Amino acid sequence: MSRFTLALRLLWRDSRSGELTLLILALLIAVSSSTAIALFSDRLQRTMSHQAAELLGADLVIASPEVIAPQWLEQAKQLNLTTARTAEFPSVLIEHDELLLASIKAISDTYPLRGFLKTRDGDAGTETIAYHGPEPGTAWLDKRILSALKLKLGDILTVGEKPLLVTKVITYEPDKKGDFFSFSPRVMINDLDLSATGVIQPGSQVHYYFQFIGADSALVTYKNWLKPQLNPSQRVMDSQDNRPELSSALNRAERYLGLSSILVILIAGVAIAMASTRYTERHFNATALLRCLGLKQREILWLYSSQFMVLGLIASALGSGLGYGAQVGLFYILRELLPQPIAMPSLGSLFFGFIIGMVVLLGFALPPLLRLKQVSALRVLRRELEPRQPAVWLVYGLALSLISVLIWKYTHDLKMTASILGVGFITLMVLGLLMMGLLTLMHKRLEGMSLLWRLALQGLLRNHRASISQILAFSITLVAMLLSFNVRNDIITDWQQQLPKDAPNHFALNIFPNQVQDFKAELKQLHITGSEFYPVVKGRLTAINDQTVQKRASKDSQGDNAIHRDLSLTSAADLPNENKLQAGEWWLNSPPGLVSVEQKLAESLTIKVGDSLTFTVASQQFHATVANIRSLRWDTMKPNFYMVFSPGSLDAYPSTFITSFYLAESQKELLNTLVKKYPSTTILEVDLILQQFKTLLTQLTQAINFLLYFALMAGFMVLLAAVYATLDQRIYEGALMRTLGASRRLLRTAQFIEFSVLGLMSGVLAVVISEFMLLALYTQVLHISYHPRFYLWLLVPVTNAVLICVVGCWGVRQVLNKPPLQVLRAL
Amino acid sequence: MQAQINQVTNDVIVTESLGKSVLSSEGLLHILSSIDLIIKSGESIAIVGESGSGKSTLISLLAGLDTPSSGAIYLNGKSITLMDEDGRATLRNELIGFVFQSFQLLPGLTALENVMLPLELRGDKTAKTAATALLHRVGLAQRLSHTPKQLSGGEQQRVALARAFVTRPAILFADEPTGNLDSKTGATIIELLFELNQEHQTTLILVTHDHALAARCQRILQLEAGRLV
Repeated sequence: MSRFTLALRLLWRDSRSGELTLLILALLIAVSSSTAIALFSDRLQRTMSHQAAELLGADLVIASPEVIAPQWLEQAKQLNLTTARTAEFPSVLIEHDELLLASIKAISDTYPLRGFLKTRDGDAGTETIAYHGPEPGTAWLDKRILSALKLKLGDILTVGEKPLLVTKVITYEPDKKGDFFSFSPRVMINDLDLSATGVIQPGSQVHYYFQFIGADSALVTYKNWLKPQLNPSQRVMDSQDNRPELSSALNRAERYLGLSSILVILIAGVAIAMASTRYTERHFNATALLRCLGLKQREILWLYSSQFMVLGLIASALGSGLGYGAQVGLFYILRELLPQPIAMPSLGSLFFGFIIGMVVLLGFALPPLLRLKQVSALRVLRRELEPRQPAVWLVYGLALSLISVLIWKYTHDLKMTASILGVGFITLMVLGLLMMGLLTLMHKRLEGMSLLWRLALQGLLRNHRASISQILAFSITLVAMLLSFNVRNDIITDWQQQLPKDAPNHFALNIFPNQVQDFKAELKQLHITGSEFYPVVKGRLTAINDQTVQKRASKDSQGDNAIHRDLSLTSAADLPNENKLQAGEWWLNSPPGLVSVEQKLAESLTIKVGDSLTFTVASQQFHATVANIRSLRWDTMKPNFYMVFSPGSLDAYPSTFITSFYLAESQKELLNTLVKKYPSTTILEVDLILQQFKTLLTQLTQAINFLLYFALMAGFMVLLAAVYATLDQRIYEGALMRTLGASRRLLRTAQFIEFSVLGLMSGVLAVVISEFMLLALYTQVLHISYHPRFYLWLLVPVTNAVLICVVGCWGVRQVLNKPPLQVLRAL
Repeated sequence: MQAQINQVTNDVIVTESLGKSVLSSEGLLHILSSIDLIIKSGESIAIVGESGSGKSTLISLLAGLDTPSSGAIYLNGKSITLMDEDGRATLRNELIGFVFQSFQLLPGLTALENVMLPLELRGDKTAKTAATALLHRVGLAQRLSHTPKQLSGGEQQRVALARAFVTRPAILFADEPTGNLDSKTGATIIELLFELNQEHQTTLILVTHDHALAARCQRILQLEAGRLV
C-alpha cells in the first residue's frame, strides 16, 4: 500500500508537468471518439435487431411490385395467419400553389400487425399511441407536409383525385424503410381510399407489402409453401432470416465513422507515445536515485505503471462520459436518416470505450515506460548512462495489433482489414520517406540561409521523426476533411453545372398508354419542350445464355446492383439521342426479340452481341438476343435505359410511359395544371431530388467531419507533444541566444516561421494528396468532372499554418518569457 | 550627468548602491547590498568569495542578465536599470562577451556556427571570416565543423572563448571558466584568456574560487554575505 501511496504522491507532483496533461488530453480524445462510435453503432444495431419484427411490421412479409394471387391469402387464412396490406408509392401533392413530392402509404384495417403508430393532434398535442391507421376519408401526415403545403389539421388534402380530411400528424410508424423514398414525407391513407385516388393503374410503380402474423409453425409452413411460387421481383422476409438492413448510406457512414475513429486513435496514440517518451526521459535521474536507494527493477516498473494505470482510469472514465455526449451529437446530426425510436445504449459499449482507453495507453505508452526499468543505478554518478531503446517490434507491434483489431471490428472483413493496413502502411512509409528527403534537403541548404531562417528551420530539423509525425498527423486529417468536403460539394454542383441550360428538369413517370397522346398535346399547347416518350415495363434480368446472372456479377459491381432489382425495360425503333453504338448494328424493321444493352452493364456482366438474355416480367419469362451494345451519358436528364428492345418485344406486358421536359422558373405554375389533369402521373422535380440528395450527403459528411474534428484535436496534441519534447532544449537555447544579445523579436519571428513552415508543409501535402485522390475518385469511380480547386490550395495551407502557429507559439511561450539567468543557472 | 562623467573618465562600469533581494519562504532575502563600484576600461577584476556570497548574482546584474532591486548600473555611461529586456539584449550584443563554467554552446550548431552567432545577431556580413580567424587563433582550425558533442571539454571552452572575443567586446565576463576542466587544461585556457584579453584590450571581470587565478588580475573584489569587503 505504501508503494501505491508513493506512486500517487509522485503522480500528484508530476501532474502539473505538460506531458502528463497532454497524455490525459490525447487519451481523452481517443476514448471519447471511440466510445462515441461504439455507442453509435451499438445503438443502431440494437435498434435494427431488437425491433426487427416491429421494423418489419409483422412476423413475415411478402414484398411485391404487384398484388399477390388471391390463393396466397387464402392459404394464409387456412393457416390461421392474420394479414395486413400496405401499398407505398410516390406522388406529387399540390395545395395552396405549393408542390411537394410525398410518399403515400395506403394501409388495411388490420395494420399494424406488430408495434404501433404514434400521432399528435397538432403541434402542442401530446403524442398518443394508435394501433390502427387512418379511417377511410382521412389522412395522417408528416408534420413537414403541413408547413410545406400551408395546411393545418382539419383541412382537405387531395391525393390523386381523392380529397381527404387531414386528422392527425403522424410521428412514428413501425415499418418505415430506410430507402431513399422514405426520406420523402409520409401521407398515410386507408386502403379503401386507394382506388379512388386513381393513382394505381396497371404498370404503376407501387410497392406492396403483405404482412402476416401467427403461430411460428404456421409461419414456417406458409413460408415453405410460398417460396417456390415467388417470382424474381417478389421477396419474402421474416424477422429471423431477413432482419431489415441498414440502408447502404447508413451502413457506409457507420463504416467510415469507425475508420475515422481509428484515425483519431492512431494520431492520439502518436501524441501519447511522444508524451510518454518525454515523461520517461525526464524520470531517468529520479529512477536512478530510487534504484540507488534500493528499489528493484520490478518495483520501478510497478511504481510508474501504477501511476499510468491511475491516469488511464481517470482519463478513460472521463472520456467515456464525453463520448456519450458526442454520440448524442452524432444522432442529432443524422436524425433524419435514422429509424425512430433509437434503442438505449448498452453498458457494454460504454465499457468498450473505457477498455479502449486502457488498451491505447498500454499500446502506445508501455514501450517507452519499460525503459525506466532499464535505468542503471550508476546513472547517479554518470549522467550519460542511458537505458537502451525499447525493441522496435514492441513499439510498433503493440500499436499495430491494436489498430488491426479495431479495423477488423469496423469492417468485419479480414481482406479489407489487410488491405487497409497494407495501403495505410505503404502510404505512411512513402510519405514519411518523402518528408525525410525534404527535411534532409532543407538541412543541406541551411548553411546558405540567414540566421533567422536557420534558427527557424533548426526547430524542425532538431528531431526529424517528431517533425514527420506532426506533418503526417495534420496532413492525413486534412486529407480526410478535404475529401469529404469536396466530394459532397462536387457530386451535386458538378452535376448541376454539366447540365445544358435547357436540359430537362422534370421527369413525368407513370403516364398510362391511353394518356400519352393527350399528354403530348398538352405539353405542346403549354409550349413545353419535352423529350421522347418511352414505354416502361418493370422486369428483371435473370439469365445470360441460360446461365443465372448471379454467377456473372462480382459483389457491389454495377452488374450486381442491376440484377438485384427490377430494371426499367423499354422499346424503341430509333437509337435514342446521345446514345452511341459501340458494337453490333441498330435494328431497322427488325422483328421483336432483339435487345440493346448499355455498355458498362454489358462489360460488368460480360454480355456480348449475339448472347441470349432471359428476362422475367410479372412471373413470365421471355428471351431476347443482344443486337448491339450502346454507350450513353446518364447525366443528360433524359430517360435513359440499360435495356432497349426492338419494337413489339414488350407489347405483351402492361407498361406506363416516361418522359422528361424543361420548365423555366416562370413556368412552374404549369405543373399544377399537369398534376391536376393527370393525377396518376408522378412528376419528379430534379431540383427537389438534388435537394434531397444534398441533405443526405450533407448529414453524412457532417457526421464524418464531426469525428475528424477529434482527429484534428489529436493532431494538435502531437504538435504540443513534439514541442514539449524539445521544450527544455528550446528554453536553454533561447536563454543563451538572449544572453548573447538576440532580441525577443528575433526569437519570436523564428518560432513563427518554424510553425508556419510546419503548417504550410502539412497543408500543401494535404492539398496535393487530396487532389490526386479526388482525381482518381472522380475519373475512375464517380465519373464526374474533375477540376482543381485553386482557392483551397491557398486556403488550406494558410489556415493550417495560422492554427499551428497559434498553438505552437503558445506551446513555446516559456522560451521568450523565462529569464535567461534562471535557465543558465539551472544548468 | 553621470553618463558624461563616465565618458570623460573612461569608466566602463559604475554601480551606485546596488542591491538585490528576493522573497523567500522565510521573508525577504538580501543577496547583495550597497555595492558601489567603478571599473575602468581595460582593467582586469577578479570577484572572489565563498559559495552563496553573491558573486554570480553580481556579475549577472553587471551583465544585464538580471535586474537589481535597488540602486543603478551604468555600462559605458548608459543606465541599464531603466532598459527593458530587449534593450539590455542589444547592449549585451554590442558591449559584452561571456565565458561560462559549463561552456554553454548551442548543441545543434558547429564550432564555427557557435562563434559566428553573436556577429550574425548584429547582422555582421563578415561573421564567417572573423569567426574562422578566431578559431584558428584558439587552435581549433581543424575543428570548425565539429558540434560540441564531438569536442572535448577544453576544446569546447576554447570555442566559448572565441565566441566571447569575436565581437571585440568592451567587457568580458568569465564565470568560473575553469570550473569544469582538469587543472592542466584549465591552466591552458586561462593562459589563452589572458592572452586574448591582452590582444583585444578588453575589460575582464572574472568570478573565481581560485586565489592564484585571482592574483593574476589587477584588482580583487572580495564579497562576503552580499557586501564588498
